[in-house]
Amino acid sequence: MKGKFDIDVVADSTITKRRVQRATMPDYAKMKKPDVKLVILGDMNVGKTSLLHRYTERKFKDTISTVGGAFFLKQWGPYNISIWDTAGREQFHGLGSLYCRGAAAVILTYDVTNWQSLAELEDRFLSLTDTANSDCIFAIVGNKADLTDPRALVEEEGEEEKEVVPQLSSSPTGPPKFRKQVLREDAMAFYSRILRYKLLDEATSLPAESMCFETSAKTGYNVDLLFETLFNMVLPSILKKESQSCSPTVDLEECREVKRTKAGCCT
Amino acid sequence: MSVKAFELVPAVERDLLMGDKARINIECIECCGKHLYVGTNDCFVHHFLLEERTTPKGKLAFCAQKLLHKCLGLKKPVNELKAASALERLIVLCDSTVTVVDMVNLEAVSSGGARIKGVASFCVNENPVNGDPFCVELGVIATKRRTVQIYMVYEDRVQLVKEVSTPEQPCAVCLDGYFLCLALSTQYMILNYNTGASQDLFPYDSEEKKPIVKRIGREEFLLAAPGGLGMFATADGVSQRAPVNWSESVIGAAVCFPYVVALDEGFVTVHSMLDQQLKQTLSFRDGHILQDFEGKVVLASTKAVYVLVPLPLERQIQDLLAGHRVEEALTLAEGARRNIPKDKFQIMHRRILQQAGFIQFGQLQFLEAKEHFRKGQLDVRELISLYPLLLPSSSSFTRCHPPLHEFADLNHLAQGDQEKVRRCKLFLVSYLREARSTEVANGCREDVDTALLKLYAEADHESLLDLLASENACLLADSAPWLEKHHKYFALGLLYRYNGQDDAALQLWVKVVNGDLQDSTRSDLYEYVVDFLSFCPNLDLVWKYAEWALQKDQKVGVQIFTRRTVSDDQAGQMNPDSIIKYLHKYQQATLLYLEHLVLERRVQKEKLHTHLAVLYLDRVLGLLSQSPSPAQEVAEAREQLQKLLKESNLYRVQLLLGKLQDTELLLERATLHGKLEEHDKALHILVHQLKDFPAAEGYCLWASASRDEEHRRRLFHLLLGVYLDPDAPGDERTVAAVDLLNRHAGAFDAAQVLRLLPEGWSLQLLRPFLSGALRGAMHARRTSQVALGLARAENLLLKHDRLKYRGGPVFVSEKKGCQLCHNTFTEPDCVCLPGGVPVHTHCAAQRARDSPRKRPSANPSNHT
Repeated sequence: MKGKFDIDVVADSTITKRRVQRATMPDYAKMKKPDVKLVILGDMNVGKTSLLHRYTERKFKDTISTVGGAFFLKQWGPYNISIWDTAGREQFHGLGSLYCRGAAAVILTYDVTNWQSLAELEDRFLSLTDTANSDCIFAIVGNKADLTDPRALVEEEGEEEKEVVPQLSSSPTGPPKFRKQVLREDAMAFYSRILRYKLLDEATSLPAESMCFETSAKTGYNVDLLFETLFNMVLPSILKKESQSCSPTVDLEECREVKRTKAGCCT
Repeated sequence: MSVKAFELVPAVERDLLMGDKARINIECIECCGKHLYVGTNDCFVHHFLLEERTTPKGKLAFCAQKLLHKCLGLKKPVNELKAASALERLIVLCDSTVTVVDMVNLEAVSSGGARIKGVASFCVNENPVNGDPFCVELGVIATKRRTVQIYMVYEDRVQLVKEVSTPEQPCAVCLDGYFLCLALSTQYMILNYNTGASQDLFPYDSEEKKPIVKRIGREEFLLAAPGGLGMFATADGVSQRAPVNWSESVIGAAVCFPYVVALDEGFVTVHSMLDQQLKQTLSFRDGHILQDFEGKVVLASTKAVYVLVPLPLERQIQDLLAGHRVEEALTLAEGARRNIPKDKFQIMHRRILQQAGFIQFGQLQFLEAKEHFRKGQLDVRELISLYPLLLPSSSSFTRCHPPLHEFADLNHLAQGDQEKVRRCKLFLVSYLREARSTEVANGCREDVDTALLKLYAEADHESLLDLLASENACLLADSAPWLEKHHKYFALGLLYRYNGQDDAALQLWVKVVNGDLQDSTRSDLYEYVVDFLSFCPNLDLVWKYAEWALQKDQKVGVQIFTRRTVSDDQAGQMNPDSIIKYLHKYQQATLLYLEHLVLERRVQKEKLHTHLAVLYLDRVLGLLSQSPSPAQEVAEAREQLQKLLKESNLYRVQLLLGKLQDTELLLERATLHGKLEEHDKALHILVHQLKDFPAAEGYCLWASASRDEEHRRRLFHLLLGVYLDPDAPGDERTVAAVDLLNRHAGAFDAAQVLRLLPEGWSLQLLRPFLSGALRGAMHARRTSQVALGLARAENLLLKHDRLKYRGGPVFVSEKKGCQLCHNTFTEPDCVCLPGGVPVHTHCAAQRARDSPRKRPSANPSNHT
């Protein structure tokens, strides 16, 4: 067998906008249709797959470089949220905007021990989000916090198998093995620049404090917090979409009890 | 890794096509039903009939029969072939020209009309927008730069419908509805030719590598992406499936649900669209063309044609299950849901779920196993039957065939690992418990409950008793030996009892209590048996075991009788008389039973009361006769006796009195005399013999309780008389007399007392008595004066009323009407209502009847 690559649990699905299935070919969709999409972006080796893996499998394991992309379907209350894990490698960069199209939230991931990984977000990845929803939420996530922050070090610092490119560390003393190259303030400043890039008003957008996370996929530090905060933030977007999609077609697959549709004309 | 999803079967061998002509290569193929068309580079189109057959070995084989081959006469390769079966036409691209030929004879139709020139490539719209079935829509890449054209192809002509320009030169096209999916030189894009809207997909260098654009379903395309990826994209420009990972050298791709098949230089790879994983790899050299035609995947090298025959889904799933790849098998099965009739799918799906459950069960993944058993609606006996001896021998169950799993039984599964066995059993317990509460157990409750019982008994599980005490369907015949084997005699008794065999249950329990059998389940089994007997409706049994119970412990044993509910035992053998008769051997039990009857149930029967009193007395006497007599017990026993003697009025006083003669039980004798109204004797005993003055005083109060004032006074005077008995003078009695008078001043007739008292007593001594008596007399006088005054006043008021009502004369004449009936008076008799209104007597009576609550305020006075 060739080219085995790590793919998280993958479910296939049809499009986020429900369409009339006048199938000429069998409909491949599973019963679950994602209601909303989350995309994880970031340079290679920042730990995107590990983050998703930590959240979904509750453990940290060595991953190999993601090929293309993968996605995971998360049941959140009555909704299905698809989380796309993208490949960070330059080679797959072109696919990014395809993944981001229609995304309700984008998780921009960098490595706290690697300044360049944050810079790459701005240089390369931010433009990919142009295809995301206009009300897309951005989260800036500094992963590998366990390497610099003792608070994130819940677990014993055992085997060091992280694929970190060791930066020339000039840290004088102290337990952290790596110098923290990206401070939270840097991430927050980047968040403000994203808002400016998107021509969004800082006053009406989500505040930088609540959208910048420092996580560790290795110890699980802040990982649940990150995903669950975002899930709750994208719920309004699901509701909005549901209320807009009152298509004239009766969807026989639709079995959700609470169907929010606009009231008829005569009410 | 692999599932065997496809089998490579040769369809057309080299010698049928080009023989030994080395230069001739296959350029394109088309398959339509059984018809296979092959275009070659020497401008020939070959037409074969492809027959499927099964070889004697059970393998599928194809037999190709050449129907025709025809040269198109252009000396150029045939680039593309597409069949339009409804039109019976074959659309051929050769030498940049699309021509339409007859499907059967391959002759060109109407030379001029059906021809498109300057074509680089074309595709057929499989989701046509035109409703005409006799028309095929073509998307055509023109050799003219940056143009895509849409044509309608009819039987004998073609018609240009639309021409759209593209930003770059297109090199591959696919059409679905109005959506063109195009590979341009540097990127893929979606173009809606109706609206002109376009959507960039992702960059791709078409010069470097041949792009692949493949429609896989409604508005969804599969595209070759950089890095050897197969990307899925919808017409909206969204990817809904994770990409599949091909090799960099991929040449072609085809879809055969649920698989994506790809061809590269050395292999055919099969990925699942459901989980994007690589499922199968087939080695195939010199691969040239890979295409799917109506679900049939056809593969060609330059010289020969093969068919990739999908293996039956069920077989694939079974292969996966055999490899313990549960999740993949389930994904595959669920992915096929829509391609299989619903009922057939459900049967298959259930079976797969059950198999999956057993695989996980074998791996001790109980949580997952349970979930799959539940979803697969597993016959719970399938699981039970894995455990040796758990199913009742009478069970009609046989395992499903073909088997759902590979295990002979639990021992086979555990391979001697006792920990595994233990965990499996624990799982079964929890599973059966849940099954009992759902309808899963319907139809096999006996098997389930019996199995559960056996597991509980074996594991010494506390729920065994709960199971047996509640509603259950445990089979007695099968469970009894098992319970005996595990020394669960108490539980076995419960089971007998549940099955209505109380006698067997009792026999067993008695043996356990007696120590003949060992079962430590209940340390209070004896009490339990007694309790059981006290409720047992079968009286024969009660009598049978009462003897045993009483011999064991009278105090507890008697509860058999005392705890019985009253209602049902009065009539039959369980009446008090026969019980007492029965109990006569057991004195303590008799006493307790009588106490129960007399003191608790308050049965008013002379015989019982007398019996109890005699027993009490005997006990006291018995205790007294011991030396030294236990003071505490004597006191208690006497207290009980005295209480009964005082409170009961039913016993035969004379009998007891006779028994008490010549004993020291003076207090009791006094009480008995009191019962006989022989107060002088009683008081004499108390005062003279016992010299217990408080007791004497208490006696007076007791004997006069619930009697009138007069009786009480008589008793007190009697006591005073005894105290002051001149025949037996004594200082202490004098003091007692003074105390008595002073304490109960109100109970005496003061005048009479004064006459009785000796002259020499000082006034001071009797001051409390005298002032009390005086105050009492004064109070009585004043009270009666007040009463008199009130009576007079009332009398006066009544007189006033009477005079008022008499009032003046009441006039009655023949002209005057009655106020009630408005008729005139014909007779002088009338009733006068308050206020002097005369009415007929019968009207007044009527009114009084009609308003019973409103009684006539005063007696109506008749007037004549």
